[in-house]
Amino acid sequence: MNWTWFHKLGSPKWFYQWASNWGGRCVYLGLALLVIGIIWGLGFAPADYQQGNSFRIIYIHVPVAVLAQSCYLGMGIAGFVALVWQMKLAPVFIKSVAPVGAVMAFIALVSGAIWGKPTWGTWWVWDARLTSVLVLFLLYMGVIAIQNAIDDQVFADKAVAVVSLVGVINLPIIKYSVEWWNTLHQPATFKLTEKPSMPMEMWLPLLFSALGLYLFAAGLAMWRMQNEVLVRERKASWVKKEVLEHGV
Amino acid sequence: MKDLWIERGERDLCRHLTFSVQSGELVRIAGENGAGKSSLMKSILGWLHFAEGTLEFNGEDVTQHRDMLLQNQLYLGHTPGIKNVFTALENLKLYCPDAAEDDLEQALVQVQLGAFADTPAAQLSAGQKRRIALARLWLTDKALWFLDEPFTALDVKGVEALEKRMSEHLSVGGAIVITTHQPLLNLSPKVIELAA
Amino acid sequence: MNYRSYFKAEWLSLLRRKQDTLNALLFFVMVITLFPLGVDPSADFLAPAAGGIIWCATALSVLMAVEGMYKEDYNDGSLEQWLVSGLSVTLLVFLKVLAQWLIVVVPLMIVLPILAQMLFLPMSVLGVVMLSILLGTPALFFIGSIGAALTVSLRRGAVLMLLLILPLYIPVIVFATGAIRAAQLEMAYSGQLAILAAISLVALALSPVMAAISIRASVN
Repeated sequence: MNWTWFHKLGSPKWFYQWASNWGGRCVYLGLALLVIGIIWGLGFAPADYQQGNSFRIIYIHVPVAVLAQSCYLGMGIAGFVALVWQMKLAPVFIKSVAPVGAVMAFIALVSGAIWGKPTWGTWWVWDARLTSVLVLFLLYMGVIAIQNAIDDQVFADKAVAVVSLVGVINLPIIKYSVEWWNTLHQPATFKLTEKPSMPMEMWLPLLFSALGLYLFAAGLAMWRMQNEVLVRERKASWVKKEVLEHGV
Repeated sequence: MKDLWIERGERDLCRHLTFSVQSGELVRIAGENGAGKSSLMKSILGWLHFAEGTLEFNGEDVTQHRDMLLQNQLYLGHTPGIKNVFTALENLKLYCPDAAEDDLEQALVQVQLGAFADTPAAQLSAGQKRRIALARLWLTDKALWFLDEPFTALDVKGVEALEKRMSEHLSVGGAIVITTHQPLLNLSPKVIELAA
Repeated sequence: MNYRSYFKAEWLSLLRRKQDTLNALLFFVMVITLFPLGVDPSADFLAPAAGGIIWCATALSVLMAVEGMYKEDYNDGSLEQWLVSGLSVTLLVFLKVLAQWLIVVVPLMIVLPILAQMLFLPMSVLGVVMLSILLGTPALFFIGSIGAALTVSLRRGAVLMLLLILPLYIPVIVFATGAIRAAQLEMAYSGQLAILAAISLVALALSPVMAAISIRASVN
């Protein structure tokens, strides 16, 4: 396997230029897919035979919930990379992605509650997956809180790396424990590995909005990382050149 | 015994600094407040990271793994690592578990704490606590000493005793790296100047 | 300094600070007292909830005990001496947590039967409660030591530490109370206890490494 890309990621300059090319494209393509997916899902996909139209919130809820988990997984991996290989970009990634993930977890909670009202009759039930998203949200807030509490950058980078990594190791245990503790929620609707149990015309818009949201978030993360890289590398000559030529 | 380091720190504090410490040599790191004297010491000991540069000990590269260096040195920092709940003797014993009871007491006598051996450190002054930590210098067989502002809070007698012990250590082939604002009375160090 | 002298000293210093141990214990009793007062003092409520109440109080008092575990070492320069001692910081963390665990959990076990009576916990279940605390609290201590190491140099670290660490305590509380509930219903509970032991072992293996990294980052 060719590891050049991995080593290149160690160079903030290389990343900055790469992200300048791809960040915008990701955001706009993602936004377009997301809009298509949501309009399709909300306006044109058939209603569910049990839940009626209220199920349509799935087109927001599921992509957001899955993304919230993926973001944390990514942060955990970045934490590991930061601690083992001391790669400069890994803490930047964690710092940039944490707020995005926290917002996703929050939207997942709110949309889940809104979905719960017509389906279960209450805004909140202590079911396994709602609870684990709540815990996920708390884990995100922990990362953000410690990031903000520490002034020294080297220390802050180490701290968020440790917290993310420990959180990722715990996340499956937490999920498993909460699931074991209570299962009321319907089983997962979205599995890539299995044949979808919902009809194609319901499932495709979901795929669109999920893909769109992933791309959108990736682009957003790149933008945030670019900003962070500029601040951190402000003493490097390439940053001065960049700012002088293109402005900020 | 031969001690040799080459360090080229490329931190903001010091750029392209190269120096070595030989056996029997006293090196004083000088500089204004905030020049990075303590930081330099801490990065040599491996708990601050330096961006570039290598560190050699006895001719071997120890930049990545400081174990060999750490096992041959004794470091005393700004805060001396003395526990309030322990007596002077117990504190010393924690750091020098293999020393005999008599030797421990003798070391305390050397730093004029003979009468306070069984006094809890909580009741001792800052200077006395520092002297407990300094008493380790009379018990150690480590070749290399890192002393970060060892004279702080010491009285004249304490300074004298410490300088005497330092010159003894140098004469048997030890090496000392020291930071201090006070002039050394009887010792002539090699000075490394750090710009602020 | 070597590992033996360190552990002896750590243990001695904990023994000398009896008040800290007593405080953790009193805190534990206080939290438990709040439940009958705040929710319902009848046996109908307390007996089934006793396991949960005991475990919430345990988790909180462990956090209180662990939160400041490095504070003094940080302030008096002992942590610096850890880093330059040539000893493994990971192992020193392990020894420290071990000492802390002993000093908190042993007294807890002694008062537990009395508190269990006050919560109308059936005697037959008491054994499971104690076993769950023996098997589960090491995880609480080891995970908590990471948070303590991360926040030791921060001025208002305590609340942050609670925020960081409490979510990670959820699995331990879930399986411990699950075991107790199963025992109350006279069902098999060994599975949950085994999971508790497994979580503690994983925490024991990984946490000292993480705490050591955090200590290195904190001391500078």
